[in-house]
Amino acid sequence: MTPVVECLVAFLFGSVAGLLMQRSRFCNTAALRDAIMFKTYRNTKAMLVAMMILTIGFTGFMSVGAGHPLQFDVGLNTFAGLFLFGIGMVLAGACTVSTWVKAGEGNIGALWALIFTFVGMFLFSLVWSASWWPPAPQTMTGQINAPALQLGFANAQTLQGKLGVPAIVFGLAQTAFLALLYRGILRREAAQHAEHEKHQKEHQKKKAAKAASVAA
Amino acid sequence: MEFFRKTLDPIIALAAIAVLDIFMFLLMGAWTVGGGETMMTGLMAQAVLGDELNRIPFWSVVFPPHADYWKIYISLGMLFGAFVGAVASKEFYWRVPRHLSEWVLITIGGLLMGFGIRLAYICNVSTFFGLMPEMNLGGYLAMSGIIAGAWVGSLIYKKLLEGDV
Repeated sequence: MTPVVECLVAFLFGSVAGLLMQRSRFCNTAALRDAIMFKTYRNTKAMLVAMMILTIGFTGFMSVGAGHPLQFDVGLNTFAGLFLFGIGMVLAGACTVSTWVKAGEGNIGALWALIFTFVGMFLFSLVWSASWWPPAPQTMTGQINAPALQLGFANAQTLQGKLGVPAIVFGLAQTAFLALLYRGILRREAAQHAEHEKHQKEHQKKKAAKAASVAA
Repeated sequence: MEFFRKTLDPIIALAAIAVLDIFMFLLMGAWTVGGGETMMTGLMAQAVLGDELNRIPFWSVVFPPHADYWKIYISLGMLFGAFVGAVASKEFYWRVPRHLSEWVLITIGGLLMGFGIRLAYICNVSTFFGLMPEMNLGGYLAMSGIIAGAWVGSLIYKKLLEGDV
């Protein structure tokens, strides 16, 4: 594919994704924040469903060597970077995806978050140019690199290569785990619902008793 | 049209996006956000600084700015798609944060997100919908990081809501 076609396909995918997220009010930040802060799981469930479909899809195609998996070394910076990101997205009230979606709805705050995401990236470019860490893609080895705090590269495909077991088998195991999480959420929701009903019934009973005593 | 009148179930929306993402994975690579923004940052910095940008090695070694980088267009597409959805469902209107504290939080949040994405080489979308489904080791590191970060962020947020800070 030529770069122009790639850009067109990407724009088309982005447009459909943006439209679907706008119509469903899906937000990755809410998927984590609401589960942690408010014990509500509307977005968390949607995220888990997508992850299950993708795990089967990606590992299925990876089993036959198809697809374009991400390839770069990971390490301490992967954890630390997403840790900072996690704090940032809760404070900003949106992640990079929802900032674009909310900006499209006319949200100036989201646009402001986006501008400062760019500023944050530029600041990092200055820090990197002084530290040269984490290693640049050209110097990544795919192996453990202890001095650079890197664990190398591994995914379902490298597991398949090492163990001789098709990638989809690992994918199915991960999907089963995600399905268990999903079931746990459904159970918790059912318990929350039952509790809510119980409170409402008690409230109604009290109200009825009060009305009866007034009438008497 | 019904689609623009009622809120769509996010499970249906995300399932549809996941199926499309599988096509993206086969064609170019999984849905990702962050690389495009970095490229935009580089292009903007180049427009402002010109050749001076060469003095910052990051922009020649890690991310030489190119306008034909496909990841840029995923983000622009999301902006466009959301705009179309908002206008068609009469949900587009200018929303401006009212309190100074909101502006401060958004500024700090944005800076942390931008810095974090580049430090990790990925963002949350690649974590949930790229690295994790590919069962990349980085996905598990990133997932632990973002959950821990969201937890700390929520603690800070709660404290702020309660007016303790």
